[in-house]
Amino acid sequence: MTLWFLEGVMGLLFMVGGAALLSLWVGSWSWLPDWLTARPWLLPVAVAAVLLPPVIIEPPLRYAVHRWELSGDIVYARSGWLSREWVFVPVGRIQTVDKTQGWFERLLGLATVEIRTASYAGSSSIKGLDYEIAARLAEDLSHRAQQLRDDAT
Amino acid sequence: MRLSPKVLLIDPVRMLPSLLLPLGGVLVAGGFSARSFLFAAMGVAGSIVFAVIRWATFTYTIVGDRLELTRAFVSRSVRTIPLERIRGVDVSTPPLHRLFGLAVVKLDTGAGGDKQEGELNGVTVEEAERLRAILLARRPSPPRATSEAYNGTAAGVPGPTGPAAGVPAGAAGIPGGVPAGVSGEHYFIRVPRSWLRYGPLSGAYLLTPFALVAGAVGLLFQWGDEFGISGKAAWAIGEWLWDHPQYLIAGVIVLVLAMPLAGGIMYAVFNWDFTLKARDGYLVAERGLINRRAVSLERSRIRGYELAESPPERVAKLVRLWAVVTGLGDSETRGQLLPVAPKADALAIAADAIAPFGPNAGSTHTNAVGLRPHPPQARRRRLFRAIFPWLLVAAVAAVLGWGVVVAVALALALLGIPLGLDRYRSLGHGYDGARFSVRSGSLRRTQAVVERRALVGWTFKQTWFQRSSGLLTVIAGVGAGSGGYSALDTGERQGVEFAAEVTPEWLTQFITHP
Repeated sequence: MTLWFLEGVMGLLFMVGGAALLSLWVGSWSWLPDWLTARPWLLPVAVAAVLLPPVIIEPPLRYAVHRWELSGDIVYARSGWLSREWVFVPVGRIQTVDKTQGWFERLLGLATVEIRTASYAGSSSIKGLDYEIAARLAEDLSHRAQQLRDDAT
Repeated sequence: MRLSPKVLLIDPVRMLPSLLLPLGGVLVAGGFSARSFLFAAMGVAGSIVFAVIRWATFTYTIVGDRLELTRAFVSRSVRTIPLERIRGVDVSTPPLHRLFGLAVVKLDTGAGGDKQEGELNGVTVEEAERLRAILLARRPSPPRATSEAYNGTAAGVPGPTGPAAGVPAGAAGIPGGVPAGVSGEHYFIRVPRSWLRYGPLSGAYLLTPFALVAGAVGLLFQWGDEFGISGKAAWAIGEWLWDHPQYLIAGVIVLVLAMPLAGGIMYAVFNWDFTLKARDGYLVAERGLINRRAVSLERSRIRGYELAESPPERVAKLVRLWAVVTGLGDSETRGQLLPVAPKADALAIAADAIAPFGPNAGSTHTNAVGLRPHPPQARRRRLFRAIFPWLLVAAVAAVLGWGVVVAVALALALLGIPLGLDRYRSLGHGYDGARFSVRSGSLRRTQAVVERRALVGWTFKQTWFQRSSGLLTVIAGVGAGSGGYSALDTGERQGVEFAAEVTPEWLTQFITHP
């Protein structure tokens, strides 16, 4: 949850920063109405006002929705916040298991497990797991996948 | 073995277009002096020498169970393709090759990406046939045990492949003709010429005249200088045409009239004498008038088929048919099993060559057998999506005061009503115990029938809007064809139950969660 919050905040900062840069430039545009060129700082504020609520609301929603489960050799992952996505992948059909860590994730000791199958539609990633759990999951999955491998595809 | 030396006759001709411009440039730059001709001649000679060296240094051999392609021109590279990895062989004869009795053999290895494929550009037709026989006579790993096992496992579908054709395990790999005794050729269909009349309906090549004109204009501009037509003259022509719009309009009308004709001709050229046959566990589709192309698909890798129809085709009860094959590159053209064909025949052939779908499989008019409709909310959603964007455009245009745009957008919104209704009618999914099927779309209605064992996973998706109307999109991940086949807007329970019905062992334990 902190991860998404951080990412969201970073995205927000990025957008606001961009808007601020733009506003410096906007001052010289003649085709804009006068009241806007007079107050270029309005732009970053507006951007922040639009973007801030989702940034605050999104992480808890995501945290409430995101789930994963490995039982009976089926990986089940749920993700999303406004739109939701459920993915079911039988371990036997997994082709590769990746474990990745972005630098935010490293900061927080988290990791992402990516599961790929022969089809893009059956691939999924489980984000923001504790590093240890992610490592174990990735290990287990690749072992199991090896054992169960059936070459239907 | 080397490629056929006749390639040397083709290669320079093939390179000519790319050489023409630089050569022309050299000549023009040199003011057509003797020296510039010398340079140009050197260029031509160089390209010929290059072609010869390339020919001389490229060899292919079948060693044991591998095919090795060796290139040793500047750097040396050996590409080894295990024969069991070859999933399909695509033999085609472009016009020039045909003139000299050559063919291009492309090997589909399922590695993905064009670069991963083996290509033998320029072997004699007999050699291509021989290669195909050898390459395809091999079975994937375990199979070399007995020839019976080979026929049983590989063909998958008993019957049409004919009697157990004994392929001596060692025979493959040894040069020397098509292994004798490989019979079992079975024609599913030789498409009658009369079916070519359906071509213009397919809409595939309708834009050909425009493309031709555009190409000609482009060429004119590019090479205009060399033909003595300066840009100014072209501009003058353009202005003259603009001043005399009747010619312009007449030209456009001619082009539009030429559309079905040219479309029909192109279609006929590409799909001439389409035949579909089975040969030792492979489906072979051959077609083409000038460039004859034969694509072999390994039957044990075919996981299903896909039908597509456009509205005019639906009116005329026509359909196009593709195979869903695992690890097939360029599946849009290679997987094609039939040109535009009457639906009843296409279904019969699909049932015969691959497998039937539906409880009363075998009857030929299985229009929507076993497909369950989606809930009424789905109709609302289809309608909304077909109409609303245009209404939005109309509203915005009305605010801005663009009358024409408003009218057009409103007209499109009106058109959206039947479109949306039809799209809802098209929606459907079903499962017959071994294969599941999903159908969607209106302007291009596609129905996919895929085997259960090709599934690699399920994905359920629900956007916020779908959630509020209790709908769910089910995407079946398949390691073949386009990768995922979705059942749009099923009911929440319905969608989950559909997935659980197809693969109960995957989902029942979770069924209470979503």
